[in-house]
Amino acid sequence: MHHLPTYRQSKSCLPVIAARTTVGARSSRLRSSCSRTLAADSSLSPQHSVYVSRSTNPYFNLTLEDWLFRHKRPKEPLLLLYRDDPCVVIGRNQNPWKEVNLEASRRTGVPWIRRRSGGGTVYHDWGNTNFSIHLPRTSFDRHATAQVVLRAVRSLGIDARVNDRNDICVGEYKISGPGSRGFLAAGYVSGSAYKIVNNRAYHHGTMLISTKLGLLGDLLHVSKNTIQTKGVESVRSPVRNLQQFNPAVSHETFVNAVVAAFRTEYGIDEEIRIVQEDANVKDIEYIRNGMAELPSWDWAFGQTPEFSQKVTTKFSWGELTAEIRSKHGVILSCCFEMSNRRDLELEQQLAALGEKLKQQKYGLVDESALGPEVHGGATGEVWGWLRVEMSN
Amino acid sequence: MVPARVPISRPAASAFRTAHRPTAYGGAKYSLFVRTVVTKRYTKDHEVVAFDDSTMKGTVHITNYAQSSLGDVVFVELPTEGTKVAQGDQIGAVESVKAASDIYAPVSGVIDEVNSKLADQPSLLNKSPEDQGWLCRIKLTDAAEIGKLMDEKAYKTHCES
Repeated sequence: MHHLPTYRQSKSCLPVIAARTTVGARSSRLRSSCSRTLAADSSLSPQHSVYVSRSTNPYFNLTLEDWLFRHKRPKEPLLLLYRDDPCVVIGRNQNPWKEVNLEASRRTGVPWIRRRSGGGTVYHDWGNTNFSIHLPRTSFDRHATAQVVLRAVRSLGIDARVNDRNDICVGEYKISGPGSRGFLAAGYVSGSAYKIVNNRAYHHGTMLISTKLGLLGDLLHVSKNTIQTKGVESVRSPVRNLQQFNPAVSHETFVNAVVAAFRTEYGIDEEIRIVQEDANVKDIEYIRNGMAELPSWDWAFGQTPEFSQKVTTKFSWGELTAEIRSKHGVILSCCFEMSNRRDLELEQQLAALGEKLKQQKYGLVDESALGPEVHGGATGEVWGWLRVEMSN
Repeated sequence: MVPARVPISRPAASAFRTAHRPTAYGGAKYSLFVRTVVTKRYTKDHEVVAFDDSTMKGTVHITNYAQSSLGDVVFVELPTEGTKVAQGDQIGAVESVKAASDIYAPVSGVIDEVNSKLADQPSLLNKSPEDQGWLCRIKLTDAAEIGKLMDEKAYKTHCES
């Protein structure tokens, strides 16, 4: 049983899954496994209803999803399916320092991305498939869209169900832990997030198919208690792969099942449009800008809700507590408190350090602006400690 | 320095020209010397702006329709006071129990004041969307922008479309 972060305030269950270490050739299989003719069109148009992306670039796929969301005629249903290269995807209003183990992200080269929809942190890789159902705001109903995906999973011979929070689960509840506060655990195979803008809404989610769940832990902070955030926090949920219930399920069979369920639900008889990440598509200004925006500091870090971090450590000269406040990725203030010793000179130096940290980018402080004091002595020790606390 | 909020690119302008009534309507308040007229206008993105012509300030809310389809709001991100915004710029974000939504500037100007109560009480957006749950006040640079937004009747039609 793996307990993984999901969205706290909704008590919801966005599963987070681990990277697959091996990936096979997959782009050619989709075409042969689909029952209908697939249309590969070099020019991308938002006028169709069923899209499958062949790209595994998360920056492209998330931007394609946003472009379709904002360009498709608002009254018409739309389905997009894709999967991504390994990456951590945080919710629109989450704190990357709290959710993502940034040190592990740098070490493994697995990027993290702030998406445009709400909810908690998930992990993407080739072992999970993302579905995205777009509808008019007026007829959008989370329960109904979850039922479409549920029918797809059931058509694969898996006895799944939807819980009261519209997450898809498989298997029986298990009760572990003592007493009346028994711990309920189910096998979540999919978690969802939603976006509403203007007269359009979408429900997107990940479906876990074949991920090596045990590898996940490294990339996510299960709980970084030193950070208190005003935004949205993740909570852990137990997750399962669909292949544990039916080993024959694959990306391709799941894609076909969702397409079939979507067509039935909305009375659509349209062929799948295959989207390639090629020069024609990336020539669309909105897509080009969106792909550039996602990894930019202004979006990735600069959209972080206000938070504070309180850390304490012991130096040879005493114990020190630092409290940093940050908003939009920028340090608002940094205050120090020595608990067991008075040292006026050091207190003044640390107060000066706190002043210099103001308006610097949290975690990306320009050290040259801090002065020579940070390269030695007690102030140097404190800065070295803070730098590490902010970077992982 | 604090970076200004990034204008998030998006299609379509907010200039939805359905205002059949160029003249202001709404509550007229009389003080000793000045007669102020507060005009309410709506955007396609479900913001409402109450414009006071005596102060040139517009108070921005999300509509009751918007809050009811979002559900319980758990987080509101507001712009920084003093930020210059252009009509249609993304100036904030709202997150409800599961859906995220964006807030766009209904008019151009400077963010004059933000509702700091929302940081701790985001549910004010649900309880009192067009009053206590106000988001920010914008000092307008061009009052004519108000006239180009939707009036209540046009907005109702937009919601039903």
